[in-house]
Amino acid sequence: MTTTSIPRHRRKFRFNFAYIFLTFGSLISLLPFVWMILSSFKTLREVRQIPPTLFPEEFTLDNYDKVLTDEDLPLGIFYRNSAIVALANVVQVLFTSSLFGYIFAKFDFKGKRALFWFILSLMMIPQQITMIPGYLILAKLGLINNLLALIIPAGIDAFGIFLFRQFAHSIPNELLDAARVDGASEFQIYGRVVLPQLGPALATFGMLTFMFNWNAYLWPLIVLTEKNVRTLPIILTWFSNQMVDKTNLTMAASVLVILPVLFVFLLVQRWIVEGITLSGMKG
Amino acid sequence: MTKSVRFFWRRAFRGRDAAKKRFLAGTISPLVLYMAFWTLFPLVWGLALAFFDYSPRRAGGFLGFGGGNPFVGLQHFQNMMDFSSGAALEVQQFHIGIKMTIVFAALVVPLNMLVTLPLAFMIESVHKRLRGLFRTIFFLPVLAPSVGVAIMWGFIFHPQRGLLNAIIGKFAGKLIGINWLGDPNIVIGGIPIALFAIVIAYIWQDLGYNMVIFIAALQAIPDNIKDAAKIDGANRWQMFTRIIVPLMSPTIMLAVVLTMISAFQVFDIIQVMTDGGPNDQTQVLLLNIYNYAFRYQKMGWAAAVSIVMFLLVISVSLVQTRLLRTEWEY
Repeated sequence: MTTTSIPRHRRKFRFNFAYIFLTFGSLISLLPFVWMILSSFKTLREVRQIPPTLFPEEFTLDNYDKVLTDEDLPLGIFYRNSAIVALANVVQVLFTSSLFGYIFAKFDFKGKRALFWFILSLMMIPQQITMIPGYLILAKLGLINNLLALIIPAGIDAFGIFLFRQFAHSIPNELLDAARVDGASEFQIYGRVVLPQLGPALATFGMLTFMFNWNAYLWPLIVLTEKNVRTLPIILTWFSNQMVDKTNLTMAASVLVILPVLFVFLLVQRWIVEGITLSGMKG
Repeated sequence: MTKSVRFFWRRAFRGRDAAKKRFLAGTISPLVLYMAFWTLFPLVWGLALAFFDYSPRRAGGFLGFGGGNPFVGLQHFQNMMDFSSGAALEVQQFHIGIKMTIVFAALVVPLNMLVTLPLAFMIESVHKRLRGLFRTIFFLPVLAPSVGVAIMWGFIFHPQRGLLNAIIGKFAGKLIGINWLGDPNIVIGGIPIALFAIVIAYIWQDLGYNMVIFIAALQAIPDNIKDAAKIDGANRWQMFTRIIVPLMSPTIMLAVVLTMISAFQVFDIIQVMTDGGPNDQTQVLLLNIYNYAFRYQKMGWAAAVSIVMFLLVISVSLVQTRLLRTEWEY
């Protein structure tokens, strides 16, 4: 018998107990989603049944019909609100993080150390301590119940600046000086030389920022109190409170709010995972 | 350098220093102004609020201070130390808040590690084709909004229609009506059952973070170390406890700190699932701050509570920066 070594990746399936644990764990992990989806196809009578059923005995699409035609719940508007806020914040945060990350990595100026130290210390300060005055400022500016309340104060991400500074360090100075010799302005150097070098980091950090903004709850809850300016997470809790006992409708609304974007996030999962492992960042 | 080359450089860079200065002035000064207005100013204002009996409903002088919102000094902080049974409601709720926030973190952190470390190790041990699938399944809840997670789990824990009681009922052979999120009388080891229910939902959503961090750390462990252990006859369990966990200890420490910080700041899932109930049993600090600042408009008191919360978080954050600064080597 020959015992040539097989390359690790082509090794045959070798059973171990991990498969049992992981399969069982996967079922538990997926169960809440499955339960939500199955319940959204049940009739009101069936969700009220004791004990409950897992699979719908009487499969119905009525719940979706009701949620989508509910005049109190114009989902299109809330999708649009969430998209405006998330996209605007991704664009501005990527711009400021890459620009100032680059500047802190490659330039010297008076007060640089103090400013950078201040930004670093911001990373440790929980957002909650500026929550109350932040609200009062926005109230004074008349921006409560305006989507701008979620965008204007979110212009700087201390962590983003810190992250992009690390990346910008690895850009060779020769590249920048060559562009200077060629007569490029400093802004052109940032836009045409530095930004392309930061490409992968921009994708990773952009996805992460989008996800956090899309799923944000506390701050939107505070500054958006009128119904039609709200974003998806707050409208979902509002709807579920309205529908106290009609769980089938709440579940249909949850499916419509959660699943489409969950699917998109799944497609770009690679970048999100990369971003988390890179930074250890949490929502 | 010859004279002509030096001349060339000087020509090429003439005006460059001025251009750099303009560039810096044009970018750094807006940054400083922006940060002064949107971070430094709110920070100072927030600190100041804690020393006033402030409510946005009442009129006052500059920034609403004075007038109807008098300066009270350290009164809020003194009140916090009132542990007598006759303490004001807000003080009693604050005590619950501190206690529940710490209990919540103390439950979440070890349970999370206990699940995610073996999970990452197991996922790395299965066939390559299946790794991506398993990782995606366990990572999925991270991508979902926490509000949706809370609604899903709230329904699972429903006393009559919920999935959990139905499953338990199947095994027990009778109807089970445990009110997981609403019964204040079921307390295990001093911890209300609603908090356990929330911990389960929270960990279900949160474990993907640490899982991917641990998977990355596992992949960074050099193969020769693992191979050497295998040649020495180590089995999987020994490999895990004697080789993998010690080598990953810096990553584990960091994950512990990050998990703890975010557990201290838990809000979404609790606000939606129980809103602090039953009987304030699950009213964690941030929920407490939110209620007093934005529901009851007692912002001075809420600001004082947020300073306490800030101290709690910052003390753990300082440990984190220590860890980040240390260089680790295999």
